[in-house]
Amino acid sequence: MSLVSLEDVRKSYRVGDQEIRALDGVSLRIEEGEFLAIIGPSGSGKSTLMHLLGCLDTPTSGRMEICGHDLSSASADKLAEVRNREIGFVFQAFNLLPKLDVVRNIELPLVYAGVPPAERRRRAIEVAKAVGLGERLGNRPTQLSGGQCQRVAIGRALVNRPRILFGDEPTGNLDSATGEMILEMFRQLNREGKTVVLVTHDPDVAAVSKRVIEIKDGRIRREYVP
Amino acid sequence: MNFLICLETGLREIAAHKFRSALSMLGIVLGVSSLIATMALTAGIEKGTRTFMQQIGGLEFVSVQNKEISNAMIDFWNLSPGRTLTDAYAIRASVPNVSHVSPEMSHGALVASPYSSERKGVRGVWPDHYVVARHEMAAGRFLTQLDVDQATHAVVLGDGMARRLWPNLEPKDIVGRVVTLNQSPFVVVGVLKRYEREQDKRMRAILAAQGKDRARSGAPARGRMAGRWDPFRQKNESVLIPLTTMFHEFKSGQFPDDSVESVRLDTLSFRVANLDYFRETLDQVRRALDVTHRGVDDYDLETREEWFDRMEASISATRLSGGLIAAISLVVGGIGITNIMLASITERVREIGIRLAVGAKGRDIFFQILIESVSIAVIGGVIGIAAGAGLIQLLGVVAPSENPPLMTFDSVIISVAFAVLAGIVSGIYPALRAARLDPIGALRYE
Repeated sequence: MSLVSLEDVRKSYRVGDQEIRALDGVSLRIEEGEFLAIIGPSGSGKSTLMHLLGCLDTPTSGRMEICGHDLSSASADKLAEVRNREIGFVFQAFNLLPKLDVVRNIELPLVYAGVPPAERRRRAIEVAKAVGLGERLGNRPTQLSGGQCQRVAIGRALVNRPRILFGDEPTGNLDSATGEMILEMFRQLNREGKTVVLVTHDPDVAAVSKRVIEIKDGRIRREYVP
Repeated sequence: MNFLICLETGLREIAAHKFRSALSMLGIVLGVSSLIATMALTAGIEKGTRTFMQQIGGLEFVSVQNKEISNAMIDFWNLSPGRTLTDAYAIRASVPNVSHVSPEMSHGALVASPYSSERKGVRGVWPDHYVVARHEMAAGRFLTQLDVDQATHAVVLGDGMARRLWPNLEPKDIVGRVVTLNQSPFVVVGVLKRYEREQDKRMRAILAAQGKDRARSGAPARGRMAGRWDPFRQKNESVLIPLTTMFHEFKSGQFPDDSVESVRLDTLSFRVANLDYFRETLDQVRRALDVTHRGVDDYDLETREEWFDRMEASISATRLSGGLIAAISLVVGGIGITNIMLASITERVREIGIRLAVGAKGRDIFFQILIESVSIAVIGGVIGIAAGAGLIQLLGVVAPSENPPLMTFDSVIISVAFAVLAGIVSGIYPALRAARLDPIGALRYE
C-alpha cells in the first residue's frame, strides 16, 4: 500500500470562457520513506500538484489517496483533518503568524487537533529544541533570521508527527548557505524515516533527493534518480 | 478549536488595534449606557410610584361612591337610605374577605389652639381608618373602639395641622394638649407621621443641608416644589375624631328621629384582605349593599385598579421608548463592529490561509472571528455599564427632585446579554466570509 497514490488525476480551472488544464492525467505513487523531488518550470502544474498532494485542494477527476484516505472528492473539513494529522507543510515564504512567538507558532497545528494546552506546549518546546531553536522560544518571527524562520516552519510541520513532509521551494527565500542547512535538515529527517516531498525548480535541491519527477504542461515528462 | 485560544487571539487583535477597536465599541458603549440609564430611570419611577401606591392604600383600597341614579329608577330613590353606617356594619358582617371598613362623616369646624386657629374639615372615623388609610403614628395613639363607643373628645392630628397649631412643639409634646373644635375642647391623643413623596423628602434634606430648613414650620416648601400637586396633603391636614363624637357634636338634631346609623356618610371605604379573591369580594360587597340600599342602584365601587393600570402603562411606555433608543444605538454599534470585522479579515486573509493550511477547519475560523466580535461587544458593554452608572450618578446630581434612578442587577444582566447578542449578530457575516476563504487563494494573498 503506497502512502500516496494518484491515478489519472486531472485538475482544470475556469478563467472566463477558457478552461485551463493545470494537471492533465497524472499518475504517481509515493512509498513510505521516500525522498522525492518534483521539478518543473513555472506554469508546469507542479504547484497545482503540490496543492493536491498537500490536501489543500481536490482533483477535478481521477483517484487520489493519501495515507489511506480517499480524497478524490473529499469535503473541506475532511481535507483539513488530513492536513492537520498526516501532512506537514513547509512554504517558501515561511508563512508564520507574526504576532505569535516561536512556541505558539509551532503549536498551531496542535491547537486545531484539540490537544490540551499543557501537552501542546510541552510538545512544541520539544520540537523547537529539536530544530535548534531552544534559545529562541519566546521570540517572534520578526526577531528571527530567515533560516530560523524556516526552522520554526519545519518545527510546525513536524509537531503533529505527520507521515509526509512537504516542502514548497523551502530554500527559495534563503541564501545558499542557510538553504544548504535547511536541505540538510530535510535529509536528516528522511534518514530518520520521514517521507519527504520537495517541489522546486532548483536542480541543486533536486539533487539531494532519491527520486526526481519532472513535470511539464500538466504531465509527468521524466522520472529519474539523481 | 479551543475557546481560550480564540479568546486570546481575539483580545490580542483588539489590543493590537486599540483606536480602531475603541471606535467600533463606541456604538455598543452608547447603546448599553443608554439602556442602563433608561432601565434605572424607569426602575426609579416604578419604585416611587409603587411606594406612593402603597402609601395611599394600595390595590386593596376600595371606596363606595354615590352614583347618579338612572331615570328609570328615579321614583325609587327615596327608598334608599344612601351610604350609612348600616352599610359599614353590613359589609363587616357579611364579607369575610374585607378586613377593615372605614365609614367617615365630615364637618367644617373652627380648629383652634392658643397659638393659631383656622377652619378645617374635621372627620369622624372608626379605628379601622388607621389601617384603611395606612396611617402611621409619629406620637401618641390612634382613636380606639372605646373612643367610638364612649364618644370621647379625643382628636388625632395630621403632621401639618399639628405643626401649625403648635409651631414650636414636637409631635410628642403636642400629645395631651387641648384643641377646640367649634369651641368644644378635644384632647390631642396622637399625631400622625408626616407623609411625603420621595422627592419631597430629598428636597427637604437638600434644603436642610443648605441651612434653609423649613421643616420646623411645617409650611409647604416654596420655590421648585410650590404649586405641585401633593397627594399626601389631605393626610397631613387630617383632623380625626371618633365617628360617634362627630355625630353627637355636629350632625345630630337635624331630624327628630336621627340616629348615628341613619345619618349619611361622607365617605365609605374598605380594605380587601386577600387580593386573590378581589372580584368575588366586590361581588359580595355589592350583594350586601343591594340589601341595605333596598335594591336601589345608587352606589358604585371605585377601585384603584384602573388607575394603577394607567400608571403601569405609562411606566412601560417610558421603558419602551428608552429601550428603542438603546436598541437603535445597539444596532448602529453592531453595524460598526461588522464593518471593522470585515476590514480586519481582509487585512488578515493570509493569517487565515496559514491557519487553514495547518489544519483549521472553516468552523474554527468562523468561531475565531465570532469570538473576536463578541469580545469587542462585551468590552464595549462593560464600558457601557460603567458609563451608564456614571450617567445615573450625574442625573442624580443634575435633577435631584426626580425619582432617584435605581440601577438594578437585572438591567446589568440584560445589557450584557444585548451586547453579546449584538456581537454575535454583527460578527456572523464577517465570520462566514472568513470561514469560506479558500486556503490556496488565502495563502497567495498579498
